[in-house]
Amino acid sequence: MQDNAEPAIEVDRLSKSYGAVRAVDGVTLTVPRGEFIGLLGPNGAGKTTLIEIIEGLRTPDTGTVTVLGHHPHPRNRALLPLIGVQTQKSAFFPHLTASEHLETVAAFYGLDRQAAHRALAQVGLTDSADARVTKVSGGQRQRLAIATALVHQPEVIFLDEPTGALDPQARRDLWAVLRQLKGAGKTIVYTTHHLEEAEALCDRVAILHRGRVVALDTPRELISRAAVGTQVLLPVGQIAPEQASSLDGVDSVTVDNGTLTLHTQHLTRVLAALGASTDLDGVQTRAATLEDVYLELIGAQS
Amino acid sequence: MTVFTALTRASYKANTRDAVTIFFTFAFPLVFLVIFGLIFKGQEVVETGNGYIDFIAPGVLAWGLANAAAFGVAFTLMQWRRDDLLRLIRLTPARISEVVLARLAVAVCIGVAQCLLFIGVATIPLFGMNVAPRWPLALPIMLLGIATFLGVGLIIGAISKTPEAVSAIGNCVVIPMAFLSGAFIPVELMPDWLRSVSYAMPLRYILDGLVYALAGAGEVGDYWRACLVLVGFATVFTAIGLRLFTWSNDE
Repeated sequence: MQDNAEPAIEVDRLSKSYGAVRAVDGVTLTVPRGEFIGLLGPNGAGKTTLIEIIEGLRTPDTGTVTVLGHHPHPRNRALLPLIGVQTQKSAFFPHLTASEHLETVAAFYGLDRQAAHRALAQVGLTDSADARVTKVSGGQRQRLAIATALVHQPEVIFLDEPTGALDPQARRDLWAVLRQLKGAGKTIVYTTHHLEEAEALCDRVAILHRGRVVALDTPRELISRAAVGTQVLLPVGQIAPEQASSLDGVDSVTVDNGTLTLHTQHLTRVLAALGASTDLDGVQTRAATLEDVYLELIGAQS
Repeated sequence: MTVFTALTRASYKANTRDAVTIFFTFAFPLVFLVIFGLIFKGQEVVETGNGYIDFIAPGVLAWGLANAAAFGVAFTLMQWRRDDLLRLIRLTPARISEVVLARLAVAVCIGVAQCLLFIGVATIPLFGMNVAPRWPLALPIMLLGIATFLGVGLIIGAISKTPEAVSAIGNCVVIPMAFLSGAFIPVELMPDWLRSVSYAMPLRYILDGLVYALAGAGEVGDYWRACLVLVGFATVFTAIGLRLFTWSNDE
């Protein structure tokens, strides 16, 4: 048995360049077992390269990676059954049905068709078991890709934009699947561009920019530390922007799309001052989100 | 289920569900058999006593085997790499040798099925092909020929990123070779210089071997030379194919 105190993933001063581009630039990261960690960042930030190095698909230039105490590179047949990978391209065996595809994958792990059917049920695809892999809808494709990563019940699961192009309902369905995995004690590393999703799902998020980790913490901690504050929104015309910026506690004022936005660190003081000069009925408040933190961080670095 | 069983089963299902593959693998060579059969119907080759069909049929069969082997592996490799199936396989603990072996077994089974169907049709009275008693000698040639063109397919599959590229490159290689090797036109009808070109074509040796085994014509020395040359071609093409092999398009 593995030593459970050992972290799921340890990445130490990892770098990888493609020509002059430093895709991953000195990343150090420890993921404890059972953690759900999100890798965020703009396209080209190095998320996929970092994940692929950890999976053993790419060789780093410098630095080390261990996954559950194993080195992923060169191809390590002792480690491979312990990790599950969903790639951005949905890799399915051509002309097969969903269950035939999963049975084939299961065989690669030395498992029988029970494993395939369990994985199908796990992602709620049992009804589509006999559908050809080319005929299933976008949401089902994503779920089948995740089922492919789960066939062998791995300890560490890598998901690269699993909710990419899904409609809101399909995304919520997938969230349930991911939460279930987290509940079962699996370690999950995932990338996404949906920041509210990362905020809702992740224990911690790492924000990558130009190959570096520019922030790493729980979403809550990141939001409160970034001091992006709260926004008070009211229709344009209800109060003049000049008057608004002179209110007690208001840091700045922006006008956008018919909405006047007051930025503040002191919501109650602003609301009190606002209430004294106008009707509060049409006023909305919006708490800072991970997206605000993200945009501020990426904006500051660019 | 072992990796070997699972992969051969998946390939069998994929092949039988793909009408285009079935047509080009099994029906297309028969179309050529009909065409050439009509062109050379009733003609006898002077001195040997064989009908022309006895030489045309091994030629079309040689081309059919080469075509199916090269295109089969090239399409599969291109598709598996493009769709990240190669990476998926690499991320499982399966032995790569077992994966390769399963693919080989599939190619050999297709080749045997092609031969049986083709010879079965060619020997009906309408075509009137005669099969010589030493026909079992066709088996090693068939295996070596498949191995050679699997190597060719490995190269085509490694350098092609789209199905269109596989078709274009594959046809540019296989179709001219079918003519230059004597598979479609008897080498006897070629000018001398073109006849020497035919010796550079791997297909020429499959043809020589099959003619010796099936038509019972030619020298035993030519048969063994064909086997040896095919071993050489298979080794060289496979080595080049493996050198060009990548697991993913963005490597």
